[in-house]
Amino acid sequence: MSKGIIILANNTPEFDYASIAGICSDFIRANMKQFDEIAIMTDASTYKANKSKINSKFDRVIVTPESSSINVRIFKDTTSRSVKAEWKNLSRTTVYELSPYDETLVIDCDYFVMSNTLDQVWGSKSDFMINSSFVDLAGRMDERVMYVDEFTIPMYWATVFYFKKSDYCDTLFTLISHIKNNYQYYCFLYNCQSGMFRNDYVFSIALHILNGNVANNVPKLPIAFLNNSFDLDDIYKFNSLNEVIMMFAKKSNTTEYLLGKISNMDIHIMNKKAIMRHMKDLKKLTTKKVTA
Amino acid sequence: MSKEIDKSVDAERLAKALHFSNTMQTFNLAKNNLKVKTQTLLSYSAYGGTFVISQEFIGFLNAVKSAGKKQAVILDKNETPIKIEDVADFLDNVLSVYFEVVNEYNNDYQKLKSSRKIEKILDIIV
Repeated sequence: MSKGIIILANNTPEFDYASIAGICSDFIRANMKQFDEIAIMTDASTYKANKSKINSKFDRVIVTPESSSINVRIFKDTTSRSVKAEWKNLSRTTVYELSPYDETLVIDCDYFVMSNTLDQVWGSKSDFMINSSFVDLAGRMDERVMYVDEFTIPMYWATVFYFKKSDYCDTLFTLISHIKNNYQYYCFLYNCQSGMFRNDYVFSIALHILNGNVANNVPKLPIAFLNNSFDLDDIYKFNSLNEVIMMFAKKSNTTEYLLGKISNMDIHIMNKKAIMRHMKDLKKLTTKKVTA
Repeated sequence: MSKEIDKSVDAERLAKALHFSNTMQTFNLAKNNLKVKTQTLLSYSAYGGTFVISQEFIGFLNAVKSAGKKQAVILDKNETPIKIEDVADFLDNVLSVYFEVVNEYNNDYQKLKSSRKIEKILDIIV
């Protein structure tokens, strides 16, 4: 049984996702041990512009066709700045058919693996695993499940998920593609809070339909919940490949910060501008690790 | 004159209280994130199942072992039935992960409790 990790990254004029994905792969290699390969799934233009960088960081490159439609969203960078930028997130639904592995773990490039907990997915009896619960590490929200809408279904986070080549996943991803192709209809049907295309919504709707249109108990990943740092937070410093000091926006006043150390635990850092600001230090840190 | 002195003393006390409040918020956040980390790490996967390690789970496994069962089918965290081929070995592994994680929690917590300054809590060199 081949075991592979796939990171998705498509560059936009505003964000260098390929570089972030390279860093993400360094974190995975430093903390997880039981996989065979790390692959990047990227579009042709990103690959062409970053060929040597990508080839040096990944065992395999899966090139996807350029997306014809562009998604635009607002990216916050703490409370003080925000930018409206492109977001190429349409290829995730094809990861099942493009994955060459028997078992695949899909990870977003802004998810920093700082523990070996996700190594526990390999050899699971579950065909598909994904989480709906999340924790806000800034402490502004308690552990909870977000909903596609207050009156509809729970939202699963497509940030990290695991699948096995199986009949169940074959059906699931066929349904996911169908929902993606008819997104406006399903978005209206499920009363999605935002009109913007979100993989989280597509996966949640597909899982709900596949369970016979009733609330479901989708197998969860070995991590109890997704550890989220939302885009109001900032990064203070990466100490090592398993420790970061964050500046968490306060609950009472989001323009003020509390410092918090996160170590030996995975973290999903949603403030991409903050990651980009620390790219130089991150590169130094990962090079040091490799040469050591 | 004495009223003015009182006022400055009050302002000083207030500043101290606010500074302390900030330290406490940082302390509580750190404590909470240690709990989150412990919860995340208290997980063990074997025989294709994933199990949440708790004191109750350890007690249950011990009861299975004490009943003389060498093999048993138990439910994992996703309610999937999993056949445990060697209950004694499985319990040993679960106990080992439990103590490893909880001892780390204890070390981090003691360090946090004895720190009075934010820089010390976070190991930041200023």
